[in-house]
Amino acid sequence: MATNTIHGNNESAQPNNIASSKQPLPPAKTVDSQSVLRRLQSELMALMMSGDSGISAFPEEDNIFFWKGTITGSKDTVFEGTEYKLSLSFPNDYPFKPPKVKFETTCFHPNVDVHGNICLDILQDKWSSAYDVRTILISIQSLLGEPNISSPLNPQAAQLWSNQEEYRKMVEKLYKSGN
Amino acid sequence: MVSDSISAVPIPSAANTKNPGKKKRTNRSAKLKQYKIDARREQWLSQGVVKSKGCKDGVDDDVVHAPPPSVNHGKHSLEPLNTRREGEEDDGLIHHDSDSESPTNCPAGVLCGNDSGTNFTGSSSGGSSSSSSSSSSGGCCSGNITEEEGEEEEEEGEDDDDGCLDDWEAMADALAADDKHENPCSDSPPVVLPREGSNLESPNSKPESSRLVPWGSGSSRAWRADDAFRPQSLPNLSKQHSMPNPDRRCVGGVPWARVSTPSSCPICCEDLDLTDTSFLPCFCGFRLCLFCHKRILEEDGRCPGCRKPYECEPVETEASVHGGSLTLRLARSCSMIERS
Repeated sequence: MATNTIHGNNESAQPNNIASSKQPLPPAKTVDSQSVLRRLQSELMALMMSGDSGISAFPEEDNIFFWKGTITGSKDTVFEGTEYKLSLSFPNDYPFKPPKVKFETTCFHPNVDVHGNICLDILQDKWSSAYDVRTILISIQSLLGEPNISSPLNPQAAQLWSNQEEYRKMVEKLYKSGN
Repeated sequence: MVSDSISAVPIPSAANTKNPGKKKRTNRSAKLKQYKIDARREQWLSQGVVKSKGCKDGVDDDVVHAPPPSVNHGKHSLEPLNTRREGEEDDGLIHHDSDSESPTNCPAGVLCGNDSGTNFTGSSSGGSSSSSSSSSSGGCCSGNITEEEGEEEEEEGEDDDDGCLDDWEAMADALAADDKHENPCSDSPPVVLPREGSNLESPNSKPESSRLVPWGSGSSRAWRADDAFRPQSLPNLSKQHSMPNPDRRCVGGVPWARVSTPSSCPICCEDLDLTDTSFLPCFCGFRLCLFCHKRILEEDGRCPGCRKPYECEPVETEASVHGGSLTLRLARSCSMIERS
């Protein structure tokens, strides 16, 4: 009850929200959409104000739940000078659940499969609602230079990672053919 | 005596003839206290207008020095006037007083309704009213009107101030506040200046009125920069208000809290209210609103800041049930225990 009164000023839908969240599967997910919207707008503002180099993201024209992002390969890595587009799809219970993030550009990386799916712990079981788009993009950017070879989605890339020169050539070749 | 002194005023206007009638009316229907107060107020006002007119026409010096003399006359009118009234039966002297002094009194006292206002009414209608209420002996003036005025004064004093007769000043202030609301058009300019003078004067003249002044002036107007009480009380208050914040930051001096005590929930981006900001559910200091915390507890139950499971759930639940202040205390004690 206390939370009811405390959040009574937010939206009239919030009490319903509490009631629905008590059930294992929230049936009316649209109730959340207002707060998700607010959160995503806040994230967009923070991302644009942050001025981080090498990462950017912006919502699709008519759907703030679907963003297009770009990251550039960090300096002194085999991915230097390459740029990768990603798609971010936010669930209705974001940020309590992570967004689905995929590479749209072909990325030859041990932890990215041929469909662009990313194996990154913070996008799965290590997700925290304190993460946001900015931290996701920064994490993926650092993942490029520091792959987890032990559990690869792309075994060929994992195998080739030890030879950085060859790997660099492969990255450039696939990047040019991909574009 | 009343009609005498008033008729001696240089300009006899309609208000003069109105005054005795009003007084009689007041005496007749003296049952209702509010009515009496209203009538008295109108009387004061009308007299104030007349006398101020008289000032303009007759006594030019008093008009020029209107605000400063009001301070002096406020003091004078307390006792010397009354004693003179009671002592001297000579009409000429009395009239002279009412001509020269009361005109300066009336804009100050009547309109602002301060002590001088009460005294002025006393000086024109009867000295017993002010002397009885200000606890100097007195009360022996001749005439029905003056005695009844005195009684009325006492009644009003008792009614308004819970039997505290010395609160005549505060009561007068309250009357003045009512005056201002009810008659804003005619007398608002004169009210401002005299009130400054009378308020500056009041702490000096009456020591026990110092406790009254914050109440009276607080109800009628805000603190002024030149007010004698302002430097002492207000800065202390603001310091007290600003104290808890750094205090709380010191208590919750943990990484997340030190980075920023967020004004909005980092999860849902809603503004944090007082209960939320005093809510510290995890050792790591990560703050979030109660709603998001509740929701996380129902899902995986791990703190978004450190990914560790929330531990002291019973305390938090108890804290969230109660009101704001209690929650504050519980949260603080909780964090203290956690740290030690």
